[in-house]
Amino acid sequence: MSIQERYRRPLAFAKLIAAVIILPILLPDKYVVTMMFFVAIYGVLSISLGLLVGYAGLFSLAQPTWFGLGAYIAGVLAARGIVPGSLGIVIAAVFVALVSYLLGLGVLRLKGHYLACATICVLIIGEIAFIQLSDITGGHSGLLDVPRLSLLGFAFKTDIHYYFLAWALCIACLCFFSNILCSRVGRAVKSSRDSDLASSAMGINIAKYRIQVFVLTSVASSLAGSILCFYLRFASPSIFSFSLLVQLILMIVVGGGGTLGGYLLGSFLIVWLGELLSVGLGKFLPVMTGEVQSIFFGLLIILFVIFLPDGLSRLPGKWFFLVKKVVGYLSITGKGLRLGQNGKGRSDS
Amino acid sequence: MTTFSLFTQYMISGITAGSIYAMVGICWSIVFLLSQVLNFMTGEFVMLGGMMTWVFVEAGLRLPVAAGLAVCCSVVLAIILDQLVIRPVKYPSEIIYMVVTIAAASVVKGVFLLSFGSQTHTIEQFIPSMPFHIAGASVTPQVLCIIGALALIGGGLFLFVSRTFFGKALKASASNANGARLIGVNIHMFMLFGFGLAGAIGAIAGVVITPVTFTGYSVGLMTGIKGLVAAMVGGWSILGTVIAGLIIGQLEGLSAGFISPGWKDAFTLSVMVVFLIGRTMSFPALKPVRKER
Repeated sequence: MSIQERYRRPLAFAKLIAAVIILPILLPDKYVVTMMFFVAIYGVLSISLGLLVGYAGLFSLAQPTWFGLGAYIAGVLAARGIVPGSLGIVIAAVFVALVSYLLGLGVLRLKGHYLACATICVLIIGEIAFIQLSDITGGHSGLLDVPRLSLLGFAFKTDIHYYFLAWALCIACLCFFSNILCSRVGRAVKSSRDSDLASSAMGINIAKYRIQVFVLTSVASSLAGSILCFYLRFASPSIFSFSLLVQLILMIVVGGGGTLGGYLLGSFLIVWLGELLSVGLGKFLPVMTGEVQSIFFGLLIILFVIFLPDGLSRLPGKWFFLVKKVVGYLSITGKGLRLGQNGKGRSDS
Repeated sequence: MTTFSLFTQYMISGITAGSIYAMVGICWSIVFLLSQVLNFMTGEFVMLGGMMTWVFVEAGLRLPVAAGLAVCCSVVLAIILDQLVIRPVKYPSEIIYMVVTIAAASVVKGVFLLSFGSQTHTIEQFIPSMPFHIAGASVTPQVLCIIGALALIGGGLFLFVSRTFFGKALKASASNANGARLIGVNIHMFMLFGFGLAGAIGAIAGVVITPVTFTGYSVGLMTGIKGLVAAMVGGWSILGTVIAGLIIGQLEGLSAGFISPGWKDAFTLSVMVVFLIGRTMSFPALKPVRKER
């Protein structure tokens, strides 16, 4: 192993940390800092969803629910003055770990799209619960009056504080999950993604490792949710809804290619794209909610799945391939046809 | 009202909702069996049927014409979906199909939000007459229309699949796509047909339900998912889906009436979670012991 190879990962992390520290010094703009805060928060979500989908092969779509639970539990505990915010975050994480463990015991026995359907149901039930428990959560109008966070005697007041907090969480997640993937657990889930039959025949306890990964990603999402809630000082059911799921799927499709850094790249691109859309089209369109953004996000998902199934992070060296696909799509669609027949149906799987 | 008449009233609203879920469930089954695609656009077909009918009625057309045009729109959308979105996918797996159809559904939903706003709309009843009473509960004639539509679609499909040559070929290709392809069946035409049929049935469900419950850009997701519950619990067959849909409707009607209207959707969806988990479990102790011979 050459020296370059040996220090590739630490170097990549050093670059990322340096960029995170230098950015607010170069651009001490409130707007940029806020946007990059959201990049970090959604980055945690897309990394954890990407880990589940890309590495573990578990198409679990309940990530927005864990995100929302983290936000609501920490927010409610702090807003009612029951416990200080820092303890609230921990309680939320423990609660989410418990719930996701119990759910995972049953749900992770399912495969493929059955798992996806069950977790979509969990996602929608979570959304209904946030709305219906209006005595606690404030219902449609949302949870108001969440106080600022203070952690170990340090009060988080300005945007820049939350920026560093969110990026600390994001980089910690990236580091932790990439270490996990190199460990026994990571190798086990990767092998179970490729063939669960073969890996259980090798004596790997698939169920155990799957549930570990499931709980860890849920806790990461919950932490991100808590931080978001303390930053916004507000939480509403629409933040944790189905349109967030579409956005997350787009992030992992765009990042794609099975690298954790790629998922972070996806989060970066999509958060800025969403902002660009609402600034650019806000004048022309009467309403600019998450659902209108979903038009563009949905179209992008379709385009990426058809033309760039590996995402942007593996684009270099694939330009020719992309051109070929576009030409093929234009000449072939609608007539019956070769591309369709090769890539269609269960005979190929 | 007495408890009994309340009970009947909730049962009737359950049957109404259940018939819709059964129809939507049939749409899921057709597409899933023919092409292994879990088509999350199904709910949007329902939305499209209701909304386009409203649009055409507002434009001054008569109700039957408007409904027919709405169904045509839905079929065209389904065909576009199959040709331009589903078919070109390069590395097909059930998950990729699911992602693509979820994306397509959110596109359609967003476009309708932009074009027609977020208000809910309704259309007039098909048979303009007063509600009549059964066991103390009032029944609008529209409920009979909905049940009739379900009976027509379910019965028609059953006869089509079991009696006609084309229907039998469809059934064969659904049960073994490779075999059908080997003997020279163009299964892509069948898939296209399946998508079109699902679009039509979904839109019809949307048209008949609109006078009872209002329609809006966002009705698609929930109706669609509940239809999926019916299809999965019913085991992807026509009869099973209809029975499961009606049971789910009853559960929803009764839980909305006696427990809480806000939580009724959560109850229905938890049926699916519990069913799916329960299906993976086996209870060796409960199985009858086979005698050794």
